[in-house]
Amino acid sequence: MIPAGSLLHAVALHKAYGRTPALDGADFSLHPGEVVAVMGPSGSGKSTLLHCLAGIIAPDSGTVRYGDRELTAMSDAERSALRRADFGFVFQFGQLVPELTALENVALPLRLNGTRRRDAERQAREWLERLEVDTVADRRPGEVSGGQGQRVAVARALAGRPRVVFADEPTGALDSLNGERVMSLLTDAARDTRAAVVLVTHEARVAAYSDREVVVRDGIAREGVAAV
Amino acid sequence: MSPLPSRAGDGGGRGGGRDRDAAARRDPLAAPRTGPAVWGRDLAMGIRFAAGGGREGWIRTALTAAGVALGVAVLLLGASVPSLMDAWHGREKARENLGQVHQPRAADTTLRYASVDTTFRGTPIRGRLVRPDGAHPPVPPGVRHLPGAGRMLVSPALKELLDSPEGALLRDRLPYRIAGTIGDAGLLGPRELTYVAQSATLAAPDGYRIDHFGKNWDPTPMQTPAVLLVIMTCVALLTPVMVFIGTSVRFGYERRERRLAALRLVGADVGTTRRVASGEALFGSLLGLLGGAALFVGGRLSAPLITLWGINVFPSDVTPGPLAATLVGLLVPTAAVLVTLFAQRGITVEPLGVVRNRPPVRRRLWWRVALPALGALLLVPLTWGEKWTDTPLNTARFAAGSLLLLIGVTALLPWLVDAVVSRLHGGPVPWQLAVRRLQLNSGSATRAVSGITVAVAGAIAIHMLMTGMQAGYAAAYAESGKIPRIGLWGNARSWSGTEQALGALHATPGVTAARGTVDALIGPLPAAGRPQDDLRPWTLAVGSCAELRTLARLPSCRDGDVFRTTNAPGTDVPVAPGRTVDLNTAIGPDDQVTPQPWTVPGTTRPVQLRDPGREPGRFSYDLLATPSSLDLGRLNSPTAELQVDFDRATPDAVEHIRNTAARIDPMMNEYSAVDNPHDGPYTSVRNGLFIGAVITLLLIGAGLIISTVEQLHERRRLLSTLDAYGTRRATLGWSVLWQTALPVVLGLALALACGLSLGSLLLAMIDSAVTVDWPVVTAMTGIGGAVILFVTALSLPPLWRMMRPEGLRTE
Repeated sequence: MIPAGSLLHAVALHKAYGRTPALDGADFSLHPGEVVAVMGPSGSGKSTLLHCLAGIIAPDSGTVRYGDRELTAMSDAERSALRRADFGFVFQFGQLVPELTALENVALPLRLNGTRRRDAERQAREWLERLEVDTVADRRPGEVSGGQGQRVAVARALAGRPRVVFADEPTGALDSLNGERVMSLLTDAARDTRAAVVLVTHEARVAAYSDREVVVRDGIAREGVAAV
Repeated sequence: MSPLPSRAGDGGGRGGGRDRDAAARRDPLAAPRTGPAVWGRDLAMGIRFAAGGGREGWIRTALTAAGVALGVAVLLLGASVPSLMDAWHGREKARENLGQVHQPRAADTTLRYASVDTTFRGTPIRGRLVRPDGAHPPVPPGVRHLPGAGRMLVSPALKELLDSPEGALLRDRLPYRIAGTIGDAGLLGPRELTYVAQSATLAAPDGYRIDHFGKNWDPTPMQTPAVLLVIMTCVALLTPVMVFIGTSVRFGYERRERRLAALRLVGADVGTTRRVASGEALFGSLLGLLGGAALFVGGRLSAPLITLWGINVFPSDVTPGPLAATLVGLLVPTAAVLVTLFAQRGITVEPLGVVRNRPPVRRRLWWRVALPALGALLLVPLTWGEKWTDTPLNTARFAAGSLLLLIGVTALLPWLVDAVVSRLHGGPVPWQLAVRRLQLNSGSATRAVSGITVAVAGAIAIHMLMTGMQAGYAAAYAESGKIPRIGLWGNARSWSGTEQALGALHATPGVTAARGTVDALIGPLPAAGRPQDDLRPWTLAVGSCAELRTLARLPSCRDGDVFRTTNAPGTDVPVAPGRTVDLNTAIGPDDQVTPQPWTVPGTTRPVQLRDPGREPGRFSYDLLATPSSLDLGRLNSPTAELQVDFDRATPDAVEHIRNTAARIDPMMNEYSAVDNPHDGPYTSVRNGLFIGAVITLLLIGAGLIISTVEQLHERRRLLSTLDAYGTRRATLGWSVLWQTALPVVLGLALALACGLSLGSLLLAMIDSAVTVDWPVVTAMTGIGGAVILFVTALSLPPLWRMMRPEGLRTE
């Protein structure tokens, strides 16, 4: 049964790596503009759940629906196209392209989606300003601090105006002050653009930025306590 | 893993001998802190790591070994050249006697000896006629007994040819029964065509008497272009191999650095990690050394199949000198270790990873330009003035100049790539990713590409040199051989004999015309008690009126007439009618001859030569005489000079003429431009070089693949992230293509510039017109382009494997 108005909905997801089960019948749903924290201990399957929801990997069984489309029935090329157009990503270590400047990194998803370079870089610059890292626009990732790099990564995730942002331990490599700042900017910007956020974390203070928590344990997702 | 010593210098130092002993007992490996034992242990550990690196490690080791093996094989071949030439010249000296200053008197131990070399379908055949004066004549090496009269000993290759259907025509020319074969000691090489025959009719003035074989003489030095070519080939083959060795020992640096960091974590000091890294490089290098030795030993077995510039040798001749071989064995592994240590400068392996202490390298132009400029400075003066001469200084200058020019290319390439890519902006995403990647670090790509650059530049220069040489020979032979004509000359005993020879030649298949005269030198009659006039001797031609008319415009002519020419070049004093001259004039300073006075008839008329001049095909006779006007027997060494025109359309016309000439007189010599001996060898050398260049390019391409895949592997997490973003595979595929193509294209451009410049300099050195071998330039550039596609195509599967979400997993 699909909850009314849900944007992303997963049912009975199973995924194993070899003989090790990562997801064992996980369910999940996400509404537009909603920030959901996926929590759980190390190895519980939360990143695997994120990857299945984002169409990065295909589950062994179960279904993932995005709007009226069935992700699990889509080809790899279709899922790639969907990720380019509708999703944004932030990872623990930013994973910025080291040879591109901050500006070019933020413009990258737009350019991959066909936006002209000039337009892409104009939009990217606006996002950098919004994330308060416009001063490092022309620097390469190796030349900026961890916090700045992560904010550039958030700008990159939001630049394409995605409907869903997937953030996998976005503050895992930052000190608490920088972590707080990144989370605040991420969730504020997401709410401003009505983007939903799937936030994988094991830190309660990070989960506190979410509207709702889902706890994954032994490959099964359970609804947690509302944070707000 | 065995425990490793902690930081150098600490532990055991302060506690005195007892503490040290205790430490040694606890950990035997920690006992020796310095010295060869430590080096040996650490190198051995590195070798163990390299040998136990799994499939990937073995591929890298195999590529390193392949590069080193190629270098070792080329070095060993180069080191064999002196001993090869010594052996070759040694056998030539031992079997030859070019004539003794004081000819021995006929005795039991002497023989008359004459050279009867010939050519069969373009291949030279060395022939020697002997006629023993007694029962114990000398024998050349490789021969136990001289053959009996009318018999011959032949080389195995000549026997094979004579026994084959192709040799049927040659059998007519060598009318001797085969009595046996000549042993290896009497042959220059296994493919040499040679024979020794006994002629019962060999007599003075043909040949000369000798009492031994073996003569000290200076071997004919190689021709200038050939020397240039040999030096250039060695430089052009060795430089890319050296570059490749430098590149290949860096393969797998990322994994190696991780390993070394792990070693640091368990207590290894920085020195230890460097020695372990050197050991890893040493392993591939040692394998390469063995492979190179095997390649060399296997390759030299093919020596009998190769004939270059008339040199064909036995496999045993291709043996490097012991000193050179030892040097190769020591220097190559040492070079591998040094390159590894050099590559680690500015890098500190820390327990948690590698710290690169070096700031971004700013590539400076001045010293990069200085290298090729210095090379050009050494080479350009060699093109001035006279044609290049083969002196030790010139050879060293040439080798150093070429080496500097080629190495300069490898030094210029990184600067050029940096300079170009720093100016590139914009473009589609794949292009931008590639350009930015190169802007950030183009080192590994340019290192690999510099090998391609040197190989292509060297190949283009060598091909230009060879094309120029080949074109020069072809033009010269085409000019000389425009008229299908063979010149023959031999001792003339009488005019009637010469007429018979002309008749026989006329009757030969394919001959369209045969003409000739008997030529001799005559001089002023020496007066008793005073030295002979210091005058140039006059040249006399004796022939029928018909023959003389081909030489000069005669008003009228009857047998008995004599003519003096008025336009012969360089005549100081004309031969005036009524002057008494010496028909038996001395030709050499030691020529003891009896004067044969002859008075130039008063009826001698002046005539004009048709084509006066000293060049081939022109005439410089001072006196023309018909047969009855003088007795040929009184002349000193009269020579029959015959010219035979033939029809090119008649198959083997030239061989038929040679057979006729041999029947007339086996000692008859030939001069002709019908066989260009340089064409075949040059074509095969060019083909060989081309194949060598292609193999080098493929090897370097393999190195590029390794570098590219390693780079991709290093970035696998980033690739997974880009995949998560929905990046198309094609986008990253194109980016890999551009990333490979940019340095390769720039490298090829540089190679073209350098190759064409070096080739032009080489051609200028041999006074040849500059001609570019465009097919080779196109082919080499095409192969360079194919390498780009090859590298990209083989990099795509690992790229796509790494674009999988597994790379995002951290648990």
